[in-house]
Amino acid sequence: MIETPTTPPPASRSPMVKNIIRESGIAIALLLLVLVFSLTTEHFLTTANVTNILTQVTINLILGVGITFVILIGGIDLSVGSVLALCAVVGGTVMNLPGLGVIEAVTFATLASVAVGIACGMLNGLISAYWGLPSFIVTLGMLNIARGAALTVTDARTIYSFPPAFNAFGSQTFFGVPLVFLVALLLVLVSWFVLTRTVFGRILYGIGNNEEAVRLAGHPVFWYKVAAFTIAGAAVGVGAMIYVARLNIASPIIGVGFELNAIAAVIIGGTSLNGGRGSVLGTLLGAFIIGVLANGLVLLGLSDFMRQMITGGVIILAVIVDKYRERLST
Amino acid sequence: MRLSKLLTVSALAVSLAVPAMTGAAFAQDKPVVGLVMKSLANEFFKNMLEGAEAHAAEKGTYELRAVGMQSETDIETQINAVENFITQQVDVIVIAPADSRALIAPLKRAADAGIEVVNIDVELDPQAKTDAGVELAFVGPDNREGARMSGDTLAAELGQGGKVVILEGNPGADNAIQRKLGFDDSIAANGLELVDSRTAHWETEEANSVFTNMLTANPDIQGVMAANDSMALGVVKALEAANRTDIKVVGFDNISAIRPMIQEGKVLATVDQFGSQMAAQAIDKALEVLAGAPPLEGWIKTDLALITADTQN
Repeated sequence: MIETPTTPPPASRSPMVKNIIRESGIAIALLLLVLVFSLTTEHFLTTANVTNILTQVTINLILGVGITFVILIGGIDLSVGSVLALCAVVGGTVMNLPGLGVIEAVTFATLASVAVGIACGMLNGLISAYWGLPSFIVTLGMLNIARGAALTVTDARTIYSFPPAFNAFGSQTFFGVPLVFLVALLLVLVSWFVLTRTVFGRILYGIGNNEEAVRLAGHPVFWYKVAAFTIAGAAVGVGAMIYVARLNIASPIIGVGFELNAIAAVIIGGTSLNGGRGSVLGTLLGAFIIGVLANGLVLLGLSDFMRQMITGGVIILAVIVDKYRERLST
Repeated sequence: MRLSKLLTVSALAVSLAVPAMTGAAFAQDKPVVGLVMKSLANEFFKNMLEGAEAHAAEKGTYELRAVGMQSETDIETQINAVENFITQQVDVIVIAPADSRALIAPLKRAADAGIEVVNIDVELDPQAKTDAGVELAFVGPDNREGARMSGDTLAAELGQGGKVVILEGNPGADNAIQRKLGFDDSIAANGLELVDSRTAHWETEEANSVFTNMLTANPDIQGVMAANDSMALGVVKALEAANRTDIKVVGFDNISAIRPMIQEGKVLATVDQFGSQMAAQAIDKALEVLAGAPPLEGWIKTDLALITADTQN
């Protein structure tokens, strides 16, 4: 976005530099939003409200980080909302198994939730990579399968009794920062490291840019694809447990439409739907733009319908801006 | 043991409707009742189905064929279900319409085919019925009245001038509109002050976030009227997070997850509209007509009950 005479010719720019250019643009947009809401509303920039925003972005951020891996290889995951419900109800069921102490119950439940997420993600990856099917279709199928499975597991009932210590974790803060947000932040940092500092990560970008070249270089593209979907599934498993801890319910009907919000966070964050370009730091910023908008527009007293229109407008605007950024940074 | 069901998941067909055919083993000469519900993922309709199945098994005088659908707004599946029932020449169709207008045309075809049609849960649009020249009786609860009862309990607690907010259901959904009107009635009648009113699409997580933000903007809120209990649950968690024990909450639906909250005083009241009996009542009425009773007309109101910590025990 910022083109200065001293920058080297476009062709020599490393992906890192490109990403920083992209993210600074999104960061400026976020800062502008924060500035506007700080000036126009009384409560926006208070410790309590910042804590609220951090809590409110957490689940979307976790789902978005997972989906970033999938979108980077040129795929999409529409199943995360339903898989979240399945993970939550399986985790919730495990947590209520008789004869477990609190620590065992929470540990087993978390493992079960993440395992279910991994299984669903892996299935998405295996099926779409093996038969070369569009992940749009495969994950749309999984969206239905996971929802049906969640309803089957619970017989369509809501689970609502959990250990108090587990619920306390859902609302605990550390110097104003919710613990659940710290979990999300940790996922962002680990993902950022994996994507930018490891061969594995570079190959994922490579698959998004030129799958054939990666294949010719002798890398098992199939398994890298499966891995990307599996990571997305694992993230959903974590998000599901945070949902249960925060809201104290595990219901088979939760998470409807969450995938769209998470994909929006990824796209606003500058990750290209064509794959190969973007980063989890962008997703972090994208999730915050959505969260800050949702929070600030209520504080401003704007009607629900206006709020919806503005959020939609921001998504489209982000893609348009991305087009220009793309030209500037390549 | 429920985990074992999970293993059969891969065998689950990705069916867009959730057919729950029952009672196929009954004798052929019994009247056949087609029950069309909304999403069986919703505990309310799940209970309704179980109530109807229990009723069918207990009476044994009719054959029940029940169909649910995948989501609250899956109008096309409902239309297909009605058309299938017309083809099957069932004797009675009992339907909880997903849309108060879109279902009128297929239901008119059913009525014209000599099927006794009874509308439950949400009333079909009266104007649209008149336009289509069709008369269908409605057996169901008065959502507006129920919301007023719930709101009045909150008003009695807060007294005149109490500041309240409303969490609404899906914009445009008939029961959401009726419940909002009931809350408004209560606010006007009891001299409460409405500070803000927003939708959280019936959802717990969204209600949690939206209400938290409303509370930030209006820290002097004293009471919350949630149009369903799922949203009330999200409000309760938001109040716990904000350490606000002074704010009172009322809900609607009496789902099982809300009951401990009422016991603990975290939720003041909710309303039960006895969904489990609604379909069974409508089926009884329709069977009476088949047996020669006069045709059903107008609005046959079903029971509503206010649930508080006092009534629960």
